[in-house]
Amino acid sequence: MKRRGYIALMLAALMGSAGLGVGGYFWSVGHVRRWTGRPELGYVGCNHCHFVSLEKMPWSHPRPRHAAPAGLAVTPDGTRLFVALDDRDELAEADTATRKITRRVAVAGGPFGLALDPTGERLYVVCRDADRVAVLDTRDLRELDSIEVGTAPVSIAFGRTPAGDRLVVANSMSDNVSVLSVAPLEELARREAGREPYAVALAADASVAYVANRLAIPADYLSRPDAELTLIDPAGGRILARHPLISAHLSEGVAVVPHRGWALTPLIQVRNLVPITQVVQGWVMSTGLAVSQGRDAVTQVPLDEANAFFADPAAIVVDPAGQRAYVVSAGSDAVSVVDLDKLGHWLAHADAATRQDAIHDLSLAAEYVVARIPTGRNPRHAALSPDGRALFVSERLEDRVLVVDTASLQPLGHIVLGDGGAADPIRRGERVFTKAAHTFQNQFSCRSCHPDGHVDGLSYDFDGDGIGDNLLDNRTLQGVGKTEPFKWIGKNPSLEVQCGPRFARVLMRTDPIPPADLKDLTAYLESLPPPRWERKQQLELTPAQERGRRLFFATVTPAGQPIPRDRQCHTCHRPPLFTNRLLSSVGTKAPTDATDQFDAPHLLGIAHSAPYLHDGRAKTLEELWTIYQTNDLHGVSSYWSKHMLNDLIEYLKTL
Amino acid sequence: MNESVAHSSARPRQPAGRIALGLAGLVGLGLLAGGCGRSVPSGSLVLAQVPVAPGASATAADVLDERYPAGSRVLLVSPPFGPDNLRVLSRGLVAAGDPVVAPDGRRVIFVGKMAPGQAWQIYEGRLGGQRPKALTAMPGGAMHPALIATDEIVFSSPVPKLGEIWTAIEPAALYARDHAGQARRLTFGRRAAVEPTVLQDGRILFVSARVDPEEGKAPSLALFTVNNDGSEVLAYALNRDGAPFVRRPRELPGGLIGFLASESEREHATLRAEAVRSARPFASRTNLFPGAVAPCRSLEPGADASLLACFESRGAAGSENRGSFAVYRIAPGETAPGELVFDDPAWHEVEATRLAARSRPMGHMSAMNPERDTGILLCLDANFTRVRVPAGQPARTAERVRVLAARPAGGSEALGEVVLQSDGSFMAEVPADTALGFESLDAEGQVIHRLAPSIWVRPGENRSCVGCHEPYNRSPRNARPLAVGLPPARIPGPSPVVTQTTPTR
Repeated sequence: MKRRGYIALMLAALMGSAGLGVGGYFWSVGHVRRWTGRPELGYVGCNHCHFVSLEKMPWSHPRPRHAAPAGLAVTPDGTRLFVALDDRDELAEADTATRKITRRVAVAGGPFGLALDPTGERLYVVCRDADRVAVLDTRDLRELDSIEVGTAPVSIAFGRTPAGDRLVVANSMSDNVSVLSVAPLEELARREAGREPYAVALAADASVAYVANRLAIPADYLSRPDAELTLIDPAGGRILARHPLISAHLSEGVAVVPHRGWALTPLIQVRNLVPITQVVQGWVMSTGLAVSQGRDAVTQVPLDEANAFFADPAAIVVDPAGQRAYVVSAGSDAVSVVDLDKLGHWLAHADAATRQDAIHDLSLAAEYVVARIPTGRNPRHAALSPDGRALFVSERLEDRVLVVDTASLQPLGHIVLGDGGAADPIRRGERVFTKAAHTFQNQFSCRSCHPDGHVDGLSYDFDGDGIGDNLLDNRTLQGVGKTEPFKWIGKNPSLEVQCGPRFARVLMRTDPIPPADLKDLTAYLESLPPPRWERKQQLELTPAQERGRRLFFATVTPAGQPIPRDRQCHTCHRPPLFTNRLLSSVGTKAPTDATDQFDAPHLLGIAHSAPYLHDGRAKTLEELWTIYQTNDLHGVSSYWSKHMLNDLIEYLKTL
Repeated sequence: MNESVAHSSARPRQPAGRIALGLAGLVGLGLLAGGCGRSVPSGSLVLAQVPVAPGASATAADVLDERYPAGSRVLLVSPPFGPDNLRVLSRGLVAAGDPVVAPDGRRVIFVGKMAPGQAWQIYEGRLGGQRPKALTAMPGGAMHPALIATDEIVFSSPVPKLGEIWTAIEPAALYARDHAGQARRLTFGRRAAVEPTVLQDGRILFVSARVDPEEGKAPSLALFTVNNDGSEVLAYALNRDGAPFVRRPRELPGGLIGFLASESEREHATLRAEAVRSARPFASRTNLFPGAVAPCRSLEPGADASLLACFESRGAAGSENRGSFAVYRIAPGETAPGELVFDDPAWHEVEATRLAARSRPMGHMSAMNPERDTGILLCLDANFTRVRVPAGQPARTAERVRVLAARPAGGSEALGEVVLQSDGSFMAEVPADTALGFESLDAEGQVIHRLAPSIWVRPGENRSCVGCHEPYNRSPRNARPLAVGLPPARIPGPSPVVTQTTPTR
């Protein structure tokens, strides 16, 4: 009897469990269908929508900080070198003779770019994370003053104009340039530049400031992307000219050439409109130098060779005699030495047609690039001693500064700032990310398309899924951790798969990244936070942003009409990541696309990652609904007024 | 974080240690079994010796018989270099030569012949001095070995008959032999592909004949590259800008590609060391040792930035009393042969190379699809060309492109035509592994430019070009070709008589 009871109990439990399981399954299918419109569960799990918090994201955890050198400045007497250490919120001073660090001082807010006044008494420091310029006394490294500028300033230049001393600051995230007076320290003007102003240099007479912008300005779909060299009057802040840099981007440096009236801007010449059927011969991209002669003529010349590439050109410095330029290649760990006399000779003898096409001639650089100096990992900034005899190059991922004798072009030694961080997998992963040696002939690195892990704002045509088909907008890697699946069609379940052999076959055209390096690379990618996420958490919404937030979370229209759940913004772009990590059809399939199901991207930092949609056809957030909305499939927007759209976009900018 | 890293890295250490120990044991056993117990002093050289006075033997039947007459051998020579420090690696072969050292500095492969009348094949030498092991058994023989990143052997086959290297109906092609011993064909041109060497960027550099519009003239040799899966064949250097015959290209320090050049293809021709700069290979051909008058038989990278070159030791221009070839250490740009490293007057020492590790060439992830029998060809602008219009003649615009395939007995067959888009672009699906040529045609069907069948696509390969006879080392402009908005034009395969290539893959 007792045994029968047990059996009956067990049977009942089994049936109950089975009933719960079956019932739970059908409930789950119904739940998923109600919320997403998907007819079946597929790989959907609870954690697509639930149990997600920003605090659990790998990028929200503290990470090791390194003494990675950023901007450099040499005192007028050549005895001291200042080094900005943005990752550690520090500034270091080194003795150029002994190559030893003499002092370190805390500078809050990620000190990144440096400029000295002609006396060497004042050091101006742009703090990228705090949106400010700090003024330091170079005698005691005491902070004397500070002023707020645009968002994420990265470069600063000092000039002595007839109207007084001026500072020109490139604000990379707000796409503008601040012009400051020095005494008193005031912002005189803030002018729109191109996209991501990243480097500033002033003419010797301070009559013009050249501002290099890192990204191309979003262009019409399948149109050529051009970056901009912005010319500004430092005295009053007036825009003098905007020179398009044809099909260029990733300009992270600019220098003025004494005695010649040139400005030199290193750049990447992108070829994203051409299907990536090959890599050889700079088919995807190559590096070059934009030579601005006067206010109109810009000639782009190559820095690469026919069979060797020097990826990710960053800083450039020119010697006081105007005879040599030194361009650092952050991806290829080299400094290219350009003989400006030879370059000038070539420019003087080339006809207009030859100059116009020069950037595509990979055999040309041998005319004027006279040497390549090897460096440590990831050189990003450079400075010359006032006499031009010593070149200082920041080896950012080695925590040291290389010192080169410019007469012999041989290294003199290093200024050591830190231990290199070899024990930190995130640091090791950043080395992989920035290393062009993983691609055929050093042509590019991950960073070439994802500067600082973000976007280059371009769409590409990979040939693996058909030439001319399935164009793909380049998505940001900031905040990408734990947002699998990856790729616009959600094909890749992990970052290892995304960046592994598939990438070697379709893009790098070499061996795959070795497994240990791939693991480090993943650690680095997962450590990349969305832009300014901590600060955005603390911001109070403006009334417009609040109205936009209500629109984003609306379940009914103002007229009381219910909005279907699968077309409510927050269903697919579910907080806190603002994605449910599922594929959706939002009416954006192009004739050349193989599918209408696309991965819902996270929206953290969305305002900074134009263009939009899977193929990058929308230049702005507005265009998502004003041009590319189809039958209210991408959210129900047909009832929105222009003001409501503006409010929604104001809210999206806060994410 | 550091603790967890240390912990996780410490955990697998034990089994890893055991595995390492086991592997070390196996390697030790292998070394003993292979007879590699004899150590090889550092600074050793591997070279070929060719008798100065070859014995009476059958006349040379093929190009290797002439280059390596009976008695030729491959040696390991150790410092101090002299007759007492030699080890024959080609023991048991009637002739051998063309040694190549693997990037790990431990393997030596070369070409050899087991018996008179037998075909030349590729052998692996044993550093202990035992008999070499045959690696290939190619019908018609194999020659010119090289090693790609995966340590697979690349070679040329068949071995051409003497005087027929550039005229043979079945030209020598490049093959790669995988670790299972299977050979797969890499080149499909109608001219021979010979003398491969592997560049640090992973591509195979080889010598072939340039097939220019003025076909029918004596072949002008040039350097080409191809990936290690046979894709992306590309002209690398040389364009009728010097002595027409070239051989033994090698990647040298300082961004140089060295090679030997002569006015005649025969083995006894006077060979001069020349080089191009990889930075601008089509505009930098130069004499590597200006003023050096002694003929040069080989050129290899030496220690540091020096070169190992095999010059004729006493011969001078105009001298009838020619001496033997010997090994010299020399720097590029020097005018005299440099420091003598090794010379045995009874032998020509040639093809000396260091037995030392060097950086491994880059690999290549193949994008081929063996299931397919076609590839896609995309031309960005068929009207973009380096060929100048003769003065006084009007420039003509191409409107169509005719696709050609080679016929075995010479000539070519038209496979079909593709209409150009208004920007000059076209995209076509073309038969794979077939030597293809192109003719750009104007509105009246007149040929504007012609490329005789000389390039190919591998199965599933997407191949592009900037133009027709476009300037060398040219990157494309960033413009969307109109042709990619349309499906590719399908070009049928050639008739069976035209199909001349049977890939082994």
